[in-house]
Amino acid sequence: MGRIVLENVVKRFDETEVIPPLDLTIEEGEFAVFVGPSGCGKSTLLRLIAGLEDATAGRVLIDGEDVTEVSPSKRGLAMVFQSYALYPHMTVRKNIAFPMRMAGMSEAEQNERITAAAKSLNLTDYLDRKPGQLSGGQRQRVAIGRAIVREPEAFLFDEPLSNLDAALRVGMRLEISEMHKRLQTTMIYVTHDQVEAMTMADKIVVLQAGVIEQVGSPLELYKTPRNVFVAGFIGSPKMNLLSGVEAAEYDADTIGIRPEHIDISMKSKKGSWEGTVGVAEHLGSDTFIHIHGIPGCDPMTVRAGGDIEVKHGDKIYLSPQAEHIHKFSEDGLRIP
Amino acid sequence: MAIVAQTSKLGTVGRPILAWIVALLFFFPIFWLIFTSFKTDADAVKPEFLFFFTPTLDNYLNMTENYDYWRFATNSVITSVLATAVALFVGIPAAYAMAFNPTRRTKDVLMWMLSTKMLPAAAVLYPMTFLAKGIGLFDTHFVIIIVLALINLPIVVWMLFTYFKEIPKDIIEAGQMDGVNTWGEIKEILIPLAWGGIASTALLCFIFCWNEAYWTVRLTTTDAATLSKLIEGNRAPEGLFFGRLSAVSAAAVGPIVVLGWFCQKQLVQGLTFGAVK
Amino acid sequence: MSSRTLPRLLQTPAVIMLLIWMLIPLGMTLYFSFIRYVLNSLRRPEWTTPSFTNWRGFGNYEFVMNSKDFLFAIQNSLFIVGSILFLTVILGVLIAVLINKAFPGQGLVRVMLISPFFIMPAVNAVLWINMILDPVLGLNGLAVEGINNIIASMHDAPLVGWFFSLWPKIDPISFRATQTSAYAVIIMVTWQWTPFAVLIFMTSLQSEDEQQKEAAILDGAGKWSQFRFLTLPHLGRPIAIVVMIQAIFHLSLYAEIEIVSRGNGNKNLPYLIGEFANNNIGAASATGIFAVILANIIAIFLLRMVGKTLME
Repeated sequence: MGRIVLENVVKRFDETEVIPPLDLTIEEGEFAVFVGPSGCGKSTLLRLIAGLEDATAGRVLIDGEDVTEVSPSKRGLAMVFQSYALYPHMTVRKNIAFPMRMAGMSEAEQNERITAAAKSLNLTDYLDRKPGQLSGGQRQRVAIGRAIVREPEAFLFDEPLSNLDAALRVGMRLEISEMHKRLQTTMIYVTHDQVEAMTMADKIVVLQAGVIEQVGSPLELYKTPRNVFVAGFIGSPKMNLLSGVEAAEYDADTIGIRPEHIDISMKSKKGSWEGTVGVAEHLGSDTFIHIHGIPGCDPMTVRAGGDIEVKHGDKIYLSPQAEHIHKFSEDGLRIP
Repeated sequence: MAIVAQTSKLGTVGRPILAWIVALLFFFPIFWLIFTSFKTDADAVKPEFLFFFTPTLDNYLNMTENYDYWRFATNSVITSVLATAVALFVGIPAAYAMAFNPTRRTKDVLMWMLSTKMLPAAAVLYPMTFLAKGIGLFDTHFVIIIVLALINLPIVVWMLFTYFKEIPKDIIEAGQMDGVNTWGEIKEILIPLAWGGIASTALLCFIFCWNEAYWTVRLTTTDAATLSKLIEGNRAPEGLFFGRLSAVSAAAVGPIVVLGWFCQKQLVQGLTFGAVK
Repeated sequence: MSSRTLPRLLQTPAVIMLLIWMLIPLGMTLYFSFIRYVLNSLRRPEWTTPSFTNWRGFGNYEFVMNSKDFLFAIQNSLFIVGSILFLTVILGVLIAVLINKAFPGQGLVRVMLISPFFIMPAVNAVLWINMILDPVLGLNGLAVEGINNIIASMHDAPLVGWFFSLWPKIDPISFRATQTSAYAVIIMVTWQWTPFAVLIFMTSLQSEDEQQKEAAILDGAGKWSQFRFLTLPHLGRPIAIVVMIQAIFHLSLYAEIEIVSRGNGNKNLPYLIGEFANNNIGAASATGIFAVILANIIAIFLLRMVGKTLME
């Protein structure tokens, strides 16, 4: 259960077309991540699926059933909001019980599910508190608990981790991934953070200006980005993109090379490019070196080993690994 | 620290004293009203009893006899309470619709509502009298309730709108996902969350209804006449009955002034439509 | 399209009620303003029922514009409203700045200061005109009499008596008189609404950026410069709002004018309408239309000024 299909869905706000006609299928049990820069329409797309926005045209199907005109609560979906959207006037227990109470479920059944959810989310001790008395992470758990107890066809997450601090974010990321493995329910997850997308997704949907740029598994996107936008968006640090003379050598309009696919040398003068070290960021395990002076790409970022010794102003020689060079044509599309 | 350094001695002592003087000056007329209400009518106009007199409660004890106070007070309570209820009953759904389901025209509708407040009541004085008399509602509680509710409706909607706006839209949407219908959104989420705002809106609306002095005077004679009408009709020419008039006036404004003390903060937010916090 | 229709419709009852409240009486006023319509007429009994056969065109408007009170009422309306606005804003800013910082008894000072705002207009007027401003029995009269008595008692004093005997007897001002009744209204309404301005300005002052002030002090700004360049601009929006809200209320002042002097020497448009409405409904309606036009001019002006800041 939980196959979601969008057919020719269009969304317009007044005159502006936020989402031009769009087709997308999310398979049952899949963890799909919508990723893209802010304002790319990813949240709108999620809200269209949820029913919180009405589609201007096209159809939304859940398990083959047309739900385009169905109200949000009847679609059998649960949503976790960025702001958690807990009911501040209700205790944690009442918050979690709310959707079940609205569905007219028996008290006994409600309590059973609340107990189970609270246990799995470590909320048992907090059931009688109000949301205002909880930390950000705990609130997030309550929001997830409220979604779980409904046993929905699919979970929708709208940037759920962006209000948490960095350490908590990593922990919650793992918890959500584990929850997906355990429940095997379809999940759709919206984020602007490509790291979240890469680490959690079965399928990533990259969006820009309402248009799907590419759909695929994290590794597909990493290895064979379909166009310049995806190439630049997926991967951290960003792929270096070069145009002009350097690209012409490879018969392309633009070429891309990831920082981890460049070999460096400090002494011998061999290598395609020569540059000067600007800033070197020592992370311990890796060093990110930002290099100036390379035509068509300034600065160029290179990922090197953690124990390399470089400093500002050093001359440095770079050679890209030929098999990892991505070539793009004039219209930004990948040249195979 | 810098601020402390700049404050002169005179400022630290003089400022509070000046503030107290100003406050006492502003409060003085009210004090004087209460003070006079304990004088007999005869004493109230004698300079020799200006400050020193034998206080009496007679003015309050005889309010019913002298002015039929309780009849007017009952009318004020009935009309103000019910008008507030009507205004909220219509205003809450309207403010809900505008705060959470705005359309392109919502701003214009709100501005238009505010502009109806600027329509001079006097311009429609005769048609209202004519209509009220025509359908036999002149001098009834019903017509006063409806008119009071309507003249306060724009402010009620505006106030509620600003309070509702403070509720994150996400929470309402979470409710929609969780399966509440429109009525449930209002009952289960909106009203409990905005309870404080609704209460202060109600309080302010009640105060305005209670103090209203145009329609309550012009659309009533006896049956539905409120305290405004009572005071307006007994304005005591040339100093007769200062004592008893003070007592009934104090009784007419006392409850409202006390209510007002409790809702100062909400008053600011409400009257400025949330623009000043 | 479907799911949000019902919630959106929930505003219609309020809109329709206000629309009816506006349009029907206003439509009738407009109709009456173009016909001859009086409540009592022995000579022309047919004028006592509204009918199109009594069509008068702009006759009522001409009649109103030629009546001696009309221009005076407009001027007086603006004079009263303008004076009250001026006084309440100035007093409001001064008092708000005065009581803004914490001092002993600040809470009580606030409570005392705000109290006049909750007094019903009828009581306000009765209280001021009788017990305070009355030239004989009010505090006004008593104070003047007291001063006269003191001076009189000094007449027989040795050495300086001749000096005091040169002093004239002071006459108390009567605030019910033609020349002064507008001042009485301005005094009592200013008394009632200054607290409102104080309350709003004070609330606004509390949200003033303290760090900004400290930065200004470090930059060498004195007290006056701080007030002039930081506090006053910060109060700009609240001042605009105070002006708008008061204009709404004071353009339709009625009870105070009625109680102070029954309009003697002091009419505004609402009062003039009330006077006409005693018999000449046509003229009252035409005046009403003028009042609506005046209110609209002011409303457009004010909403332009304040409207945008409200929607933010």
